[in-house]
Amino acid sequence: MNDLKEKLIIELSDAVVEMDEDRTVKISGEIIKEELDAYEAIDRGLASGMERAGKFFEEEEYFIPELLMCADAMYAGLDILKPHIRRKEEKEKLKIVIGVVEGDTHDIGKNLVKIMLETSGFDMIDLGRDVPPSKFVETAIETGADFIAMSTLMTTTMDAMGAVIDLLKKDNIREKFKIIVGGGPVSQGFADKIGADGYSSNAAECVRLVRNLSGITVRDR
Amino acid sequence: MFMNIMSPKERLNNSLIGKRVDRPPVICSGGMMNAAIVDVMQKTGHTLPEAHTDSSLMSELSTDIAGYTGFENFGLPFCMTVEAEALGSGINMGTLACEPKIASEPFSSVTTVEFRDIHEAVKSSRINTVAGSAYTLSRKYPDIPVVGSLTGPISTAASIVDPMTFLKDLRKSREESHRVIEYVSDFLIEYAKILVESGAGIICIGDPTATGEILGPKIFGEFALHHINRVIDGIHSAGALAILHICGNMNSVKHLIPELKADALSTDAMVNLRELKREFPGIKTMGNLSTYALEFGDPYKIEVMTDKLLKDGIDIISPACGLSTSTGLDNIRAMTETVKSGGA
Repeated sequence: MNDLKEKLIIELSDAVVEMDEDRTVKISGEIIKEELDAYEAIDRGLASGMERAGKFFEEEEYFIPELLMCADAMYAGLDILKPHIRRKEEKEKLKIVIGVVEGDTHDIGKNLVKIMLETSGFDMIDLGRDVPPSKFVETAIETGADFIAMSTLMTTTMDAMGAVIDLLKKDNIREKFKIIVGGGPVSQGFADKIGADGYSSNAAECVRLVRNLSGITVRDR
Repeated sequence: MFMNIMSPKERLNNSLIGKRVDRPPVICSGGMMNAAIVDVMQKTGHTLPEAHTDSSLMSELSTDIAGYTGFENFGLPFCMTVEAEALGSGINMGTLACEPKIASEPFSSVTTVEFRDIHEAVKSSRINTVAGSAYTLSRKYPDIPVVGSLTGPISTAASIVDPMTFLKDLRKSREESHRVIEYVSDFLIEYAKILVESGAGIICIGDPTATGEILGPKIFGEFALHHINRVIDGIHSAGALAILHICGNMNSVKHLIPELKADALSTDAMVNLRELKREFPGIKTMGNLSTYALEFGDPYKIEVMTDKLLKDGIDIISPACGLSTSTGLDNIRAMTETVKSGGA
């Protein structure tokens, strides 16, 4: 039984890395049929596969098309396994409001970051693209989010990121949220300049950034 | 001093074909890299978004830009959406300070693309606007080069097909992807021909989706290199010169540079153009003053950075990427004046 579980979990992880959607569907079905632990299969199978894919991405073995196909395979398995998670196993997740700032339609980078963070166990609230600064703030307050994540690919829209921080400061709630930024023209220097808590240059790195920063968030509570 | 004895058009053409110049030209190619900054528009009242759809306003704004910034060319249009619009995408025309953008892609995947008659597609009203402006400017100012900007085949394809699906389709549906990009390229060549006939002697292709960082070397080689080169062949057949701008750090696709058929290669700020020239002595380089520095730096810093590009022997001096519309005129002038005076 345990051997079978381990075998299926490894296969599930491999199928994600190998971008094989049909196989993640098939193996996820077997896991349900054998009444194995769905939560463990997600965590150690699907999520581990995405983490390995993210590593390949950082090592420039995989690029965006490959990472997106891994994500499709992962989500196909997740659709099958998720309804079978027993309630008590679901931990309280940190919430992250994510979006592309006002005046921008490029959201590939944002989608990648969302996928990688979701896979790593964060609760993602996706505002999509072309999001005005006030919308980030309102949603973060309404949902009790821990993080606000913003990206852009156009230099013309970078200022809107600073505007979100200014809005939070004006309402005296800046310290309630960790702000992270990214996207083509954004740099660590720019993040520092507008007073963001963090910057990352790619989706895999962003997971580490959020993990580091959320350690601090938890302590602060 | 042998400074500034050539006309801007002669200088830019010579730079591109490898003939002697008195000094490098300093230009801003238009399209993704346009210089329609708020500072200029507020001075003259020739504003965006109106100028995107009005040929005479487009010409006036282009003239304002060249006059105030000191860039030695006209760069048309001021956005990257003309191509996708003609192929059916929904466009949000933006505002004074924010460029137009794709509001909706009409096709969900490469397999559902409806192929239009490209000879009909190029009759779009905005292509008329851009061509009309190229015509006016090239007749009125025969010494100043008109650069027509073209959104490249990969980015245009990713603007008519949902971009996330499109990127996966490059692996999943290779043949259909090639067919769609080929259709887009045929259209782009036809559009470029119209621009050339109207007076644009140089076409600058910007293809921000076609980067090594997004596609990786294999897909870049199979799709971007092949189709971009085809578009460049079309531009050359139409009798114009071609500049290609590649976004990102280029590390993973550097080895493909010798295969690119562009007359000059423009790159982002993080690429060391002097090194690139050393590695590939055959290429002509354009760039690559940081647009971040142009927006947030001061004129002295810009002078020093421009001077470095001159000392590095960069063939054409230009911003490295899309200028922020809130970039200050003082910084841009520091850049163009440093080039024109032969260095800091």
